Amino acid sequence: MNSVIVLIITAIVIWLGYGYYAKSIDKKVIKPDPKKATPAKMYMDGVDFIPSGRNILFGYQFKSIAALGPIVGPIVAVQWGWLPALAWILIGVAFIGWVQDYTAIMMGVRHDGMTMGGLSYKLISPRSRNILLLFIYLYLWLIMGAFGKIVGYDLMTKPTVPFGILVVIVMGLLMGYFTYKLKQDIVLTTIIAVVVSLFGIWLGAQPFIANIFNAINGSPDTIIFGQVTWAKFLWSIVVMLICYLGAVLPIWEWAQPINYVSFWIVSLGMLAGVLGMLVWHPGMGDFPAFTQFTVPGLGPLWPILFVTIACGAISGWHSLVSTSGTARQLENEVDALPVGGGAMFMEASLAVISFLTATAAFGSYKGYHAVFAKSHAAVFAVGLAKFMQHVGVPYTFGVAYGAVFLTIMALTIMYLVVRFMRVASAELVGDAVPVMKNPHIGSIVALLLSLLIVWTGAWQSVWVLFGGANQLMASLALLLITVWLLEEGKKAAWAFWPFVFMYVTTIVALLYTGVYVLQKVQASPVGSIISAVIAFLLVIAALFLGFDAIGAVNRARKGAEAG
Amino acid sequence: MVTVSLSSRIKRLGKTLGEVLYGATVYDWALQLKKERGKFESLFVLVVFGEFLGIPVLPPYYTLRLLPYVVPSISTWKRSMLREPDITEIFDEDMG
Repeated sequence: MNSVIVLIITAIVIWLGYGYYAKSIDKKVIKPDPKKATPAKMYMDGVDFIPSGRNILFGYQFKSIAALGPIVGPIVAVQWGWLPALAWILIGVAFIGWVQDYTAIMMGVRHDGMTMGGLSYKLISPRSRNILLLFIYLYLWLIMGAFGKIVGYDLMTKPTVPFGILVVIVMGLLMGYFTYKLKQDIVLTTIIAVVVSLFGIWLGAQPFIANIFNAINGSPDTIIFGQVTWAKFLWSIVVMLICYLGAVLPIWEWAQPINYVSFWIVSLGMLAGVLGMLVWHPGMGDFPAFTQFTVPGLGPLWPILFVTIACGAISGWHSLVSTSGTARQLENEVDALPVGGGAMFMEASLAVISFLTATAAFGSYKGYHAVFAKSHAAVFAVGLAKFMQHVGVPYTFGVAYGAVFLTIMALTIMYLVVRFMRVASAELVGDAVPVMKNPHIGSIVALLLSLLIVWTGAWQSVWVLFGGANQLMASLALLLITVWLLEEGKKAAWAFWPFVFMYVTTIVALLYTGVYVLQKVQASPVGSIISAVIAFLLVIAALFLGFDAIGAVNRARKGAEAG
Repeated sequence: MVTVSLSSRIKRLGKTLGEVLYGATVYDWALQLKKERGKFESLFVLVVFGEFLGIPVLPPYYTLRLLPYVVPSISTWKRSMLREPDITEIFDEDMG
């Protein structure tokens, strides 16, 4: 199939999904009231509750939900063929993804800006809040494992990448210094920082710089321990050091200015990639619509595909962003759909573009597989470079740019994850183990846990577990939405059935993965046992949640009948 | 029927795009700074007017001198001090 036809189908699904289905639910079921004061207006304090316009919030919501998930998921999932991956992205976003993001915002707005923890406590059970915290902690840990492996193993070990990353980080720090301390014009500093970063990426791809990093990487046969080579060991430590700085330094000193410069690097790359794709409009060649039901190393199409692609179709993390961020800044109830639903459909478009870098850019399954077998991340870097070639970007620079693009995108998330992990561990065990309240100790513990999973876990299993933790959060969010709708006496089937589907699918996916990794215990004992424990822990927590859910749904039904 | 000129349409589109871009870039930055400033202000008001919450902290002389400056933010300060925050409030960043 031609890439342009895929884009047209995507546009039609968005038009139908957003323009008809989402709008009709918004109008007939949720019924937002433009005259009702939102928490942002009622409790405006300039800190947690700040009313903002819909366009600003759309940009904020999209930036907050679209990260590495919608890019990596489709690249892995096309191993089942292009049709299942594309179908899940489009059907998922049209019937489940926007439902969660939009209604989570409305639920937060209608509950005085309460966040997911409070909502779970109130609507389901006190225990469900703790289950949510467990999902969150494991999700964060698995992000570190999945992204840490991509960055430390696949990307930073490429000699053309580290120099570009170093330049982007330094430019980000300088940008922050010039903006905050020297009060320089942000437009001027942005232009200088982005231009120098682009130059740094180009310079890093030149042989005289790449050779230095080649020498640092040493021989690929140098094994430090297990299956960890010297290069993988070195760069995974460097990545963790970057994360440590991001986790302990003030957010405006490290994370924000670097994220800001990264935003432009990523946006320019996406823009050039999409333009190149439109100019080139390649077909998928012999890329099969369907390969086989069970993909070796991953598992059967159902249920594994539905956790392999999370962001882009549906992601539980969005419900946290929607309630703790957007719901407290929404100026008008009628803005919830364009902000929450609109950003989710936009994210699905990003997933489709990533899907096309894996399918159309290579034009053959063999071409895709040859790159994927060597490095998962390289699929996107090479695919993007092939697209960018058609708007005049040299291929060698394009590949380095694509790799830096992915690395910086992952890094900007990872140091925030470590920051969150240390806050979560301080909250969870801080009273019992007071030393965990120390930010340095909390961060180091989080980083050691991350290294454990990076060095021992099998990437595809870690990715599936990461998707599983994410989708269980989505199940919880959909359950909360269902209970809230029932309590309000509104139609709830449009949220209840997606909950049932996500809940059952994710539990089966986790059970399958748990058993699968245990079968590999002899090859990698530590990694397999850790992965299996995480999988079964998530399943047990999900079963408790399911038990509480029955009670909550019955309570809400009785309440609605009585009231 | 109201007709909208091309130039005003372009202006409106530019404004919308500018706002979306602001939301995706600097808004988060500004938000964090506001939160940081808010924390310090909260702490300051607590030090000066802790008695409002039953915490005697500063001699009344200084409290009375500072009162006119703090009056506008007292209601939001009391609400934010007495509100029980949940750990999930911190998860408003990109993680997907």
